[in-house]
Amino acid sequence: MKVLVWKDTKKNMESLVKNLPRKYAVDFSPRDQSIKEAYISVDGKTFTFRAVIDSIAPYDETEQNVLKKKSSPKTVFEITTLEKIDPIPLIEFKASGKYLKEMKTWNIAERSLTEMKEKEAYADTVPKDINEIVEDAKKLGFSLPLTVAYDVLKYKKSLDKKEYTHLLKRLHEDIVKKEIDPHEAVGIIAAQSIGEPGTQMTMRTFHFAGVREMNVTLGLPRLIEIVDARRIPSTPSMTIYLKKEYSKSDETVMSVVKELENTSLIDVADVITNVAEMYLTIRPNANRMKERIVAFNDILDATEKVKGITVIRDEKDQEIVVKPQQESFKKLYQVQEQLKILTIKGIPGIKRAIARIEPSTKEWVIYTQGSNLKDVLELDEVDGNRTYTNDIIEIATVLGIEAGRNAIFMESQRTLQEQGLEVDQRHLMLMADMMTFGGGVRAVGRQGISGRKSSVLARAAFEITTKHLLRAGLIGEVDPLSGVAENIIVGQPITLGTGAVNLVYKGLKNTK
Amino acid sequence: MGKFNVLQHDLVPEHHLVPVGEEDKVLKELDISKDLLPKISRNDPTVKALEDIHGKLDNGRIIKIIRKSPTVGYSIYYRVISGEVFK
Repeated sequence: MKVLVWKDTKKNMESLVKNLPRKYAVDFSPRDQSIKEAYISVDGKTFTFRAVIDSIAPYDETEQNVLKKKSSPKTVFEITTLEKIDPIPLIEFKASGKYLKEMKTWNIAERSLTEMKEKEAYADTVPKDINEIVEDAKKLGFSLPLTVAYDVLKYKKSLDKKEYTHLLKRLHEDIVKKEIDPHEAVGIIAAQSIGEPGTQMTMRTFHFAGVREMNVTLGLPRLIEIVDARRIPSTPSMTIYLKKEYSKSDETVMSVVKELENTSLIDVADVITNVAEMYLTIRPNANRMKERIVAFNDILDATEKVKGITVIRDEKDQEIVVKPQQESFKKLYQVQEQLKILTIKGIPGIKRAIARIEPSTKEWVIYTQGSNLKDVLELDEVDGNRTYTNDIIEIATVLGIEAGRNAIFMESQRTLQEQGLEVDQRHLMLMADMMTFGGGVRAVGRQGISGRKSSVLARAAFEITTKHLLRAGLIGEVDPLSGVAENIIVGQPITLGTGAVNLVYKGLKNTK
Repeated sequence: MGKFNVLQHDLVPEHHLVPVGEEDKVLKELDISKDLLPKISRNDPTVKALEDIHGKLDNGRIIKIIRKSPTVGYSIYYRVISGEVFK
């Protein structure tokens, strides 16, 4: 259902609420006169009022109306009810195909809500014959991994019942043999297993990864980046898939690419400061504008949105003269800096976007330099469910910690595989699990996992010994000596393997 | 809220809320106390999405996560909603 949305002042709303129904003269005239409902925003971020409009009529000077603004009233709304509602974010409304981000004057919008649904259970999608094999294994007293069950299925047909049971029994034996024993030091094994191949990785920072003009950090630097949980990777990049209905149309892909690429003012124009006269000149460069497909009016529109400046258009020379409203050198400098990074179009953060046909599926895929997952997911043509970025922290904040864990696992595995190194997946999974244990992505080193161990001695044994010991002494920390490092320090058996078990002699049972 | 349902993204595994009545059963099965479970921030997008479905969730509620795993097919993991945000 179409609704009218606009921004208004708190004072106007309060005076309207008191005397209803009321005629309200506004400074805009919607083309669609049949609209009955309106949402009004006071702060420009959320809608806090809902109004029911009985009729829309042209403005008549002779009538007594409440005016929205003193200047240029155009239409009169007859408002029958106006109620305060719980704040609704602007983003829940869509105007002409785009989600509302800011509320300037008025708009005709439609409320669009995505239905929040839990994911369909993966267990239900497992084929029946696979489930049968898992059930058979359960009868023999062990749980068979699904991936192994898929392999068993291949041979099941050519085996008779006896052989089949025998196969499952052999699998059971194999699985038991490979199980990790209680109190095995899995962490240290994982650290060794990732660390050793790490010594064979190339130190070269850059590698051209297939896509033209696009480079992605690979090898050891990338692995360090993942493990250190850097806020921003050195080469953030996204892989954007389009929805099935758009993914084969060349025109849509090109329009999405143009929509994505961020162009700031400095990319298409020069900003020249005139200190003596206290003004700035924006001189667009025709060549660069052509390259980025930016019109002169786009620049003008973007400049006019900046607050605190007066924009004078110089028609003859195709220049824009900008004067700060406050005359001071500080302000002049501030405006200059502000204009340089002014976004003319595109999504902030995305520097380049390149579309390429994926050879295997014949569909268009967009690769970008720079990453902004949150904004890209909001685009209509984009298939958000498949869209991926290599910025792990961004994934963890936008999609949640579990997605972050998957990203750590996938990224580290891909980095190692690209170098031709094979590390068991379980080690990487353990690392990813440890890094996301606390609900946020933590680095492995002194700032993260190792620095947050509960034992003072273990922390002191790792790095910055004096700092930890001094602090512990000051606040009187107690070390229960339950870990490995602290027990080595004090010279006790470590709590691993057989050392983790305490033997207690109960004595003979008293039999009279 | 609105726009994009994070629960449907390929990278996000299944998130299910464990009913209060079944929490003890889960903890007993794992032989663990609640504060030793891995945490999930209450500002986590997936928790927000679950709140849209189930209503407000308090700290200490357990979320059952069913992950697709390349080694065992699928595996079950639990996280407890925590107010402390860890960075």
